Amino acid sequence: MSTLEIKDLHVSIEGKNILKGVNLTMKTGEIHAIMGPNGTGKSTLSEAIMGHPAYKVTKGEVLLNGENILDLPVDERARAGLFLAMQYPAEIPGVTNAEFIRGAINARRPEDDAISIKNFLKQLDETMSVLDMTEEMADRYLNEGFSGGEKKRNEILQLMMIKPKFAILDEIDSGLDIDALKVVSRGVNKMRGPEFGSLIITHYQRLLNYIVPDVVHVMMGGRIVEQGGPELAKRLEDEGYAGIRDELGLDIKLVDEDA
Amino acid sequence: MIICDWQTALEQHSDLVQKYFMQKAVKYDEDLLTAQHVANLTSGLFVYVPKNTVVKEPLTTYFVQDATTKADYVHHVIIVTEKNSEFSYLENLTTVGSEKTTANIIVEVIAGVDSHVKFASVDRLGTNTTTYLNRRGHLEDNAKIDWSMGMMNDGNIVGDFDSDLVGNGSHSEVKVVAISTGKQVQGIDTRVTNIGRHTIGHILQHGVILSRSTLTFNGIGHIIKGAKGSDAQQESRVLMLSTKAKGDANPILLIDDNDVTAGHAASVGRVNQEQLYYLMSRGLPKKVAERLVIRGFLGPVLAAIPSKKIEEQLKVTIERKLVDGQTDE
Ligand SMILES: Nc1ncnc2c1ncn2[C@@H]1O[C@H](COP(=O)(O)OP(=O)(O)OP(=O)(O)O)[C@@H](O)[C@H]1O
Ligand SMILES: [Mg+2]
Repeated sequence: MSTLEIKDLHVSIEGKNILKGVNLTMKTGEIHAIMGPNGTGKSTLSEAIMGHPAYKVTKGEVLLNGENILDLPVDERARAGLFLAMQYPAEIPGVTNAEFIRGAINARRPEDDAISIKNFLKQLDETMSVLDMTEEMADRYLNEGFSGGEKKRNEILQLMMIKPKFAILDEIDSGLDIDALKVVSRGVNKMRGPEFGSLIITHYQRLLNYIVPDVVHVMMGGRIVEQGGPELAKRLEDEGYAGIRDELGLDIKLVDEDA
Repeated sequence: MIICDWQTALEQHSDLVQKYFMQKAVKYDEDLLTAQHVANLTSGLFVYVPKNTVVKEPLTTYFVQDATTKADYVHHVIIVTEKNSEFSYLENLTTVGSEKTTANIIVEVIAGVDSHVKFASVDRLGTNTTTYLNRRGHLEDNAKIDWSMGMMNDGNIVGDFDSDLVGNGSHSEVKVVAISTGKQVQGIDTRVTNIGRHTIGHILQHGVILSRSTLTFNGIGHIIKGAKGSDAQQESRVLMLSTKAKGDANPILLIDDNDVTAGHAASVGRVNQEQLYYLMSRGLPKKVAERLVIRGFLGPVLAAIPSKKIEEQLKVTIERKLVDGQTDE
């Protein structure tokens, strides 16, 4: 079992304080969901955990199995077991999807013990069929010209091939049609088990019908303001964020409100 | 067909050598470097493809510059393709030894009427070799030269890659991939001059700059008055991997006729941080991620190389040069 602990995390970007003390602890075997209004810092949290150089941690810690990872560059964090399915994955021309994924797997193995091509292709085939992806996607350049939904599916393909300890999924459901949503959820659910934990960021309760979380966190104004079980997501779906905000007496403006 | 070294050419084919050696493509009295070249010439290759001869398999040459002594390397290649012939060629320049030396290399391709030459090169001259490399094509009516050049040298170098589209309907496609590493300074001037009518000159060059090195691409498209219906296009792009790298891409179009088409694109940019981040977020070390982004950047030039085999060989050399360049960063 592994643990990921986020302690009093403060993060700024371009001099602007976005995260103002986030606390969150999770273990492998658990699925956590984060919901929160636009611009509240959900992607900032995921990028800061992963180690995007533009996001500056001004205070706090992120511990993976008790070790602070904030001094590690992004690739070392990835090899230590973190994965981020990004809200906006980059496109890399000239590098095929298959060779990229194989490179990512081999980066985690000793140099003299690379995965055999045969073994790799077998796993890739199986995983792509779980995700209803056509074979041709393996030979296309990484995310280049992929539709929004295809990119999301491709993030999950990488996740399933790389098998991290903790995966943060940033709006993996946005832009997916109903069928794709089910397919992607199927992929994540297949990963569920004692050696895998996931932090799922979403705006829609619907995703959480397919991937039922153990814990739901509500994030507002750069902090986690509320936690609960799956029923908390349902309540948000019905009431929006204003209800929780007012109940907690927070001074945060939501987009759909007039000043 | 004749393929022989320089000495043999002088002894057995002096009539042909006299006709072509620095007469049509490069002129012996052009400048100091060409004059020195003539005065000090020590080795070379002579290729003569008679008319209507089609050579399918590429001729591959390996020229090794000897830097175990301080002797300068002065080397000449002439390729003559007569009417309606086809010829394909791959040249590899390398260095043994590490003495400080100079290399003065001229390659002349004289493409006769209706002939087609595929010229490819993968060069890896040594760190202590300072090189002047001049490759020039002289194209007669409807001749075509496809140039594919990989500039993977480690020393300072000036490359002049020129095509004179003398004959009507002649066509030159120039592809250059260059990588600068260490403290190396590379200057690459690629020129196509449209002289005949309905001639086509296209330049596509992409370069990558690591560490503290420098790379300059000058692309020159010159359409002479009277070259009606001609086309001059060029694209030069430079990607810088470090803040200490220096790069330039200068497009120069000189157009002396109205009835023509011409265009250029040039850019000097830094490696895309979001791409690097994305690759690294999957566990790839930074240097591997950089090489992948570079490969993507060079991809359009590599994909445009007419021979798959040469494309593959160039990819291998690029990878090696990049790995070497990254280790001494
Ligand atoms: N690169 C950046 N430059 C400037 N501001 C930024 C940058 N990235 C994020 N921000 C700001 O940080 C705040 C938090 O953004 P973040 O992307 O974390 O929100 P989010 O909760 O993920 O929102 P959404 O639900 O819309 O995805 C926003 O106000 C955003 O404008
Ligand atoms: Mg977001």
